[in-house]
Parts: sequence; C-alpha cells; structure tokens
Amino acid sequence: MTVVVTPASVRNERWRLRLRNARDFARRSARRRDGVVGLGILLVFAVLALAPSLFVGPLERATTATATALEAPSGPHLLGTDELGRDMLNLTVHGARVSMFIGFLATVITILLGAVIGIVSGFLGGRTDTVLMRVTDFFLVLPTFVLAIILAPIILDLIGTEAELFGIKATLIVIVVVIGITSWAATARIIRSQTLSVKERMFVDRARVIGSGSGHIMRRHILPNVVNLIVANTVLTFAGAVFTETTLAFIGLGDPFQPSWGQILNAAQEGGAPGLGAWWYIAPPAVCVVLVILSFTLVGNALDDILNPKTAGRR
Amino acid sequence: MGTRYLGRKVLQAILTVFFIVVLNFLLFRLMPGSPERVLLRNPNLTPATVAAARARWGLDKPLVPDQLVAYLGSTFSGDLGYSFKFRGKPVTEVIGGRFWPTVILIGFGEMIAIVVGLALGSYAGWRRGGTVDRIGNGVSLILYSMPYFVIGMPLIIVFASGLGWFPTSGMFTIGATYDSFADQLLDFLGHLALPLATVSLGLIGAYSILMRSSIIETRGEDYVTTARAKGLTDGRILRSHAFPNALLPTVTIIGINLGYVVAGAITAEIVFNWPGLGTLTVDALSARDYPVLQGIFLLLSVAVVVANKSADLVYGVLDPRVRS
Repeated sequence: MTVVVTPASVRNERWRLRLRNARDFARRSARRRDGVVGLGILLVFAVLALAPSLFVGPLERATTATATALEAPSGPHLLGTDELGRDMLNLTVHGARVSMFIGFLATVITILLGAVIGIVSGFLGGRTDTVLMRVTDFFLVLPTFVLAIILAPIILDLIGTEAELFGIKATLIVIVVVIGITSWAATARIIRSQTLSVKERMFVDRARVIGSGSGHIMRRHILPNVVNLIVANTVLTFAGAVFTETTLAFIGLGDPFQPSWGQILNAAQEGGAPGLGAWWYIAPPAVCVVLVILSFTLVGNALDDILNPKTAGRR
Repeated sequence: MGTRYLGRKVLQAILTVFFIVVLNFLLFRLMPGSPERVLLRNPNLTPATVAAARARWGLDKPLVPDQLVAYLGSTFSGDLGYSFKFRGKPVTEVIGGRFWPTVILIGFGEMIAIVVGLALGSYAGWRRGGTVDRIGNGVSLILYSMPYFVIGMPLIIVFASGLGWFPTSGMFTIGATYDSFADQLLDFLGHLALPLATVSLGLIGAYSILMRSSIIETRGEDYVTTARAKGLTDGRILRSHAFPNALLPTVTIIGINLGYVVAGAITAEIVFNWPGLGTLTVDALSARDYPVLQGIFLLLSVAVVVANKSADLVYGVLDPRVRS
C-alpha cells in the first residue's frame, strides 16, 4: 500500500466543506422544533442516567428504606414511596440509568449487526446477498417480542442468573442480547437498499480501478455514504430498544436489584398498586418511559427527514 | 401471472413456517439439562434402565435428522407435547383454553383502532396544520410511545379503583351466578371494556400516524389535482380519491403490525388479569413451562406469518403494480 500525501490545499478545502455541511445541518435541525425539544428532554435524562447518585443519593434498598410503605407524595418524599418504603424519586432516577444503559447497549448491537449485514449484503450482491436477505426476511417476519420472551429464559438458564459481565448482572445482559438479536433486520434492509444505490456511483468504480479491495471500498466509500441513514436509524432503534426493555422487564424478565422503569412498573403491578389506587407508584416511571420514547421518536423522525436522501426535500 | 404471484407468496409462507418449526426445535434443545436428568436423581437406577428410557424417548438417536424428523412429524400432526406445570395436560389443550379471550381482545381492538385510527389520521393529514391535526397528531405520537401496560394501569386507577365504573381484573365476576345469558354477557362486556380500550388506544396512535403521512403523500398527486380541477368538493376528493390510494400502504403495515399487537396484548392481559395467552405466557415463563412456551411461540409466530403474507396478498389484489 502506497502512502498518499494529501496536499495542504486539498485538506483545507475538505475542512471548509465539512464545516459548511455542519453549519447547514445545524441550520436545518434548528428549524425542527419538535426535534430540538426531544433532544432537550433526552439530554436531561442522559445526565440523570450518568450520575443518578448526584441528584438523589445512592439507590435505596429494602434494608436502607426509611419511610413507611406506599406513602402518598409529601414534603420529604416528593413522589411518595413504594410498598417497601423506598423513595419513588430515588427509584425513578436510578431507573433512568438502567433503562437508558440497556437501551444504549441494545441499540449498539442492533445497529452494528444491521449495518454490517446491510452493507455486505448490498455491496457483494449475488449469492451472499440472497442468503443474507432470506435470513433477514425471516427475522423481519418473526414477532420480535415473542421471540425475545422465549430466548430470554433459555439464555438465562444457559449462563445462569449469577453470571456477570462488566459488573452488570446476566439478567440485564440477556435482555440486551435478546433485543439485539431480534431487531437488526429492519436496519439491515434499509442500509442494504441505500448501499445498492451508492455502489453504482462513479467513485466506487474509480476506487476499484485504482485497485482497492472490497473491504476497503465498503469501509471508506460505502460506509460514509450510508452513515446518514445509520444515524437516523440509531435514534429510532433506541426508542424501540427502550420500549422492548420496558416491556420485557414488566413481564418479569428484569433484575429486581437493578431496577429499570419497566422493573418498577412490574413491582407496582405485582404489589397491586393499580387496584389500590397508588398512582404515585406508577406515574413517575410511566411518565419517564413515555417521555424518553417520545423524545427519541421525535428526534429520530426529525433526523430522518433531514438526513434521509429519500425524504429530505419533502418537508 | 396472478396464480404465479399467489403461488410464490404461499410457498414463501410455508417455508417460513417450516423454519420457525425448526428454530423452535433447536432453541429448546439448546437448554442445559436433558429429560433423563430427572431420572438420574434416583441413585438406584441402572445404566440399562436409563438406556431403555432414552431409547423409548428417542434420545439415543442423533438430534438431526432422527429427532428433528420425529419432532416435525408430531408437530404437524398437532401433538405439541405435555405441559410441565399443568401436569399431564396436553399443550394444545392448555393453549386452546386460553385462545379465544386473546382473539376477542385483539380482534375487537383491531377493529376499533382501524376505524378510529384511519378516520383520525386521514382527516388530520388532509387538513394538515389544522386544529384536528395538531391535537390528533400530538395525542397519536404520545399514544404511540406508550407500552400498552402504561396505558392500562392509569385506566384501572381512574375508571376501576377510582370511579368504580369497571371491574379491575378477570373476565367474569368470580363466583357470580347469572339469571340469563344477557346478564352474563353484560358482566363479560364490563370486564372487557378496559382491556379493550387499552389495546385500541395503543393501536389508534400507530394507525393514525401511518394514515396521516400516507394521506399527506397523496395530496400532491396528479389525480388529486385533476379531481380538484373537475370541481369536486373537498370531502368528495378525500373520500373517493385520496383515501383509497392512501389505504394501500396502510393495509400492509396493519398486517405486519400484528406481531407488535400480540406483544402489547400480552402486557395488557397481565395488567387486567385477562385469562388469555398473555397471562398464560407469563405463568409458563415463571414456571419455566417450556413445552407450553414452545407451543405459544409456534402459534403466535405462525399467526404473524399468516397475517403478513395475507397482507401481501391483499396488497397484490388492491395494487396490480406489485404483482410483477
């Protein structure tokens, strides 16, 4: 491989273009007020998720709870308490950490799988494409959530509930993996169709003529041209991942010792909170879930409209 | 042409179902432990007895092809094995007893959501930026972001435990005796109201958003301009020109969507303790009743595949362009 020296003028021009694109992007984004509002809400939750103890102290456990059970909201407990006397504000803020973290990891797996399969399938074509797309179609048709319900206990039984990875309990890792395995197909489809159109462009032929290999072309020429779609898709996938995590935790697949919002709602349901009219046990995690999913959806749709070449001009 | 399109779709559906059955077989063989482990708890067991048991269960034969073929044979003849939790009861019987409540819930929920969602979405899209659009689209987006149980729990708090208008759980009042069929039906409908509202509300959001964007796309089409030029009224253009065309993509999504509806219905059933497949799934999950889980997975995924392919076919009938 020969080292290509890029002249300074070309480098400057490149930076000028990048800067202009960035400014253009910022200008178009600012016009989407729904997206900006969503982004603001997400930032708040991101801060809460990064340092929950900073705002509400360490996570309360049954042994460290100070209040009586199922207290309605009052001065010392702004959002009331659960059936173990734990402060709901404390639980909800710490729930942000688990929910967002699982959502994030699951999104990374989904997007990695989807992008790699989509790009390889679209670029190589032929038999690879046929086989990969049949597999994708199969996963696309399979009901994600139903498959997740079946996979989660099986994987749990395989590795045992006590196992840990990076200090995270196996139960949560399983949820991450299950969401990843079951939701990459849609992303792969979208990325593939974009790859198909990008690979017909002139610069791909030029790269091939100067002797670039398939791997190099996919990394350096295809990927940068589908990255727009990947970004928009990542944000929408994040919404889906939080949704699925909440639902899986709600039906009892979460980890009671690392409560996510879905897990809190599961405890509320098991503790009979709806029947007792203990609205403060349900409202905080429920409102957070809806706010986060809604914000991701708003930001994702806005990004999709701005970045997706198919819909860019329409708005 | 028509038959070939139909044939290809049906063949695809059959292949997908076949692979689901194979996946179902493999997944549950991945699990640690094996049936003879239960026998081995008895220390007095001779190796010969274990071998005999293995032979009787067919476990001495290789996984593929012998065990797989046996599994396929019994699955396609309707034998799904026996439940662990409900001792000795065949899985088909266990699932059969929980089938109709779920079908009623999803069926009526879909009907209400399709009518309301499509009406709301198309009106909002047609009058884009109007009051109905602003409020309707906002509400739809929020509903769309709510897992079904997040819709159901507040409904219980307000309408069941708060106002006392509806019962909080179950399908009938426990221990109730009915004077007439009408009484029983009334009791059933009272119990059905909130779960049904939950499922419908969850779906209305998704369908109205879809229909809205679909209608917005048709507004710029030439045939709408033509209809306007002919002097048709606004409502007439929406009803006879924009709406039928906007319906096409929505039909497919409704078919594809069934997988999500099933997932949502499962959680709605838990909230209201509705005795359907959802509560059965969770019971089977906590008891690790794998044969029942396997049966539910098979039933639901086949149902989703059939819904998907039917949507494809309906789309093909409605829009001749996709047939080629």
